[in-house]
Amino acid sequence: MPTSFNMETMPFSLLDENEQQLLRQRLDIGYYQSGETILAAGDEPEGVYIILKGKVSESEAQQEGVDAPQHIFVHYTNEDYFGAWSAIRGTAIHNFIAEEETICHILSTKTLLDLMSSNSLFADYFQQNLAAKSEIVAQHGAEQDMAEFMLARVSSGVIREPLIILEGTSIFDATTLMREKKSDCMLVKRGNRYGMVTGTDLLDALVIRQQPQSTDVADVASYRLITIDPEDYLFNALIVMTQQHIERVVVMRREELVGIVELTDVLSYFSSHSHVIGLRIERAQTVDDLHEAAEGLNDLIKALVSQGVKARFAMDLLAAMNGRIMAKLFDIVVPADMLPHVCLVVMGSEGRGEQIMKTDQDNAIIHRDGLVWPGMQETMERYSRTLIEFGFPPCPGNIMVSNPYWVNSLGDWTQRMSDWAESCSGEALMNLAIAVDAKPVAGNPAIFKAGRNWFMRHLRNNDVFFSHFAKASLEFDTPLTLFGNLKDKGQLDIKKAGIFPIVHGIRTMAMQYRIKATNTFKRIEALVEEGQLKEKHGRELEEALGLFIQLRLRQQLKRSECSDEGIDLTPNIIDLQSLDKMERDLLRDALHIVKGFKKHLGLRYHLGG
Amino acid sequence: MILPRSIRRIKERYDHKDGPYASLFESYDGDEVVSLDCETTSLDVKKGEILSIGAVKIKGNKVMTSERLDIKLKPPESLTGESIKIHKIRASDLSDGIELDDALDQVLEFVGNRPILGYYVNYDIRMLDKFIRPRFEFSLPNKAIELSHVYHDIIKWKHVGGSVDLRFDTIASQLDIPILERHTALGDAITVALMYVRLKHGEAPAVSA
Repeated sequence: MPTSFNMETMPFSLLDENEQQLLRQRLDIGYYQSGETILAAGDEPEGVYIILKGKVSESEAQQEGVDAPQHIFVHYTNEDYFGAWSAIRGTAIHNFIAEEETICHILSTKTLLDLMSSNSLFADYFQQNLAAKSEIVAQHGAEQDMAEFMLARVSSGVIREPLIILEGTSIFDATTLMREKKSDCMLVKRGNRYGMVTGTDLLDALVIRQQPQSTDVADVASYRLITIDPEDYLFNALIVMTQQHIERVVVMRREELVGIVELTDVLSYFSSHSHVIGLRIERAQTVDDLHEAAEGLNDLIKALVSQGVKARFAMDLLAAMNGRIMAKLFDIVVPADMLPHVCLVVMGSEGRGEQIMKTDQDNAIIHRDGLVWPGMQETMERYSRTLIEFGFPPCPGNIMVSNPYWVNSLGDWTQRMSDWAESCSGEALMNLAIAVDAKPVAGNPAIFKAGRNWFMRHLRNNDVFFSHFAKASLEFDTPLTLFGNLKDKGQLDIKKAGIFPIVHGIRTMAMQYRIKATNTFKRIEALVEEGQLKEKHGRELEEALGLFIQLRLRQQLKRSECSDEGIDLTPNIIDLQSLDKMERDLLRDALHIVKGFKKHLGLRYHLGG
Repeated sequence: MILPRSIRRIKERYDHKDGPYASLFESYDGDEVVSLDCETTSLDVKKGEILSIGAVKIKGNKVMTSERLDIKLKPPESLTGESIKIHKIRASDLSDGIELDDALDQVLEFVGNRPILGYYVNYDIRMLDKFIRPRFEFSLPNKAIELSHVYHDIIKWKHVGGSVDLRFDTIASQLDIPILERHTALGDAITVALMYVRLKHGEAPAVSA
């Protein structure tokens, strides 16, 4: 077929010119009328079918004697391909039926195998799971540059060689050396440990504490070093610095010192303006200062996403930023003498660090048992009100600190959690689901940790609870036939279909294995480490969830730009028509993974049918 | 002496029964058809020269584009501005073309004794015959299938009275067949093949007047 075959789409665009030439020479064309079986389960497939025009359904093989309606898994339409898996296996496992008049290109199994053996990426694409597929796409997509830029590792060239001096050097000598080396910080070696001394430390020692210039720098150094692994994302270095209010982190490969990463270097590496907002949050003294900083956040997210940054990484940054805003505001609003006795927690998606656009406030206060603070209610109302002004919408379920129901002493909080766990009503389980994703952001985190640890012990071995709790993840159907309806409806509630089943299923497993992380990706990693999830499945789930979030975010941004108030009224709807062929393909694979995961949950928690 | 085609075929079959081309005259009992198209310099058989020949086999409901013939010939002297406009084939496009003798060998080898399908297929067959006769001393003995007749036979039942529009593009759009590459020999051969498969295996199209 000289030109009618579209080589632009994945995976055929992976082939080089000669391979594409070969492919063109070897293609056949098949014509199927509506209702005709193209490939029946058990048949030996001729090869891969690429639809030129028409619609094909993939359905389960009909069992003999059973008259049940056929269960259709997937619809394929123009430019989709099907049957690759069957071709590689040698027999078809499902029925492929033309839903309407269909013309397909047919790539024979032999040619497919030839191409797979000559082109390993092409082979990977057909053989691999979703994770590998999206990686191939990412590597070859137009977003390549930005993705690489955001995925830069600490080791990618911003590490500075540290200025190391030995214990016993005087402040005077050290300062001279720093000036000589044009460095603003150095590491002091004391025994086996390193301590950091910055210009500020030296000033403090000389001017504030009036120590003599002959003082040993080892005595003014700080030994509580914040470190990062050289293989970690540079991005995470930025997050750590933002969270810890520091300007440099020490790079350590296990016990070995590698160097130092400076905030200014990271910032010049990320030429976006995320740092500006971060710094403004840190420097804010009043509510108004903070308000200004908060307003920049949405623009930042838009900029990151339009530059093609993976939603998952944008999410990490935003969670850190939002957390800082809330914590800072809390520090401003709550009197300093009360701070050690209360803990502000964020819950739900905020607690998991998975919201992207500013979502509803879901927050609560846990305070010390027996705390007397008459102005608390008023302060909390002010806090919630201010957050609304900042653009964090109020929670429709009124789960916020202005609601006394969500302001509890530690004792009441734990009691409430265990009541919810026992009650099994829908509302109680929803509250519990929100509450177990809680993360402390301000005040005294020890109060929260005490509550969480008690609750985790409390649930130990309570299999009936877990089984009941898990059930919600199977509540919504995960449709795979939606692509057939492209013309009529073409909308998908991605939260129900994909995000919620993964998040809730993983949440249940995380509770069962007492995993403290709240972020779903981190929970998955922890579950893999515990051996509760196979590594392959874990990665697939991460990819699927990442894809859902990415697609959702892009459409949210588009909709909020189109609407007058800049608000997206249907945040979870994915408009299928606006997806390109590649995205449809990935989405379909991702939904397959969700289906598989649900099946796994069903078996694990004995959730029949 | 000018003999009717049918009588001439019997004579030629007899003449060649021991020759290397005897198999071409055997009646065909397989299920394959060859869709064939020639691009020429003129629509007049007497003046025309062949520029390119495209052909694909059809087997059941499949167009075997992997088994195809895509021949470009050396530019004939008569390549004029008129036909260039239609085919967009210039002499330079044919500079790597092959000799007519080789091309005809390939055509006979490819087609064998299968029926030949085309749109106004008689024109293509007569054009080939014009060059085959002097070299091989026979005309193509193959059964010819005219696409517009196949179409007409199926459509006319749905279309009482009035004439049926048999233009190439009309047929393609009525059958909802994508036209892959109009005006290249192979592209037209494939499109015709698809239309044929569609007519033979699909339901009769609902025709709009």
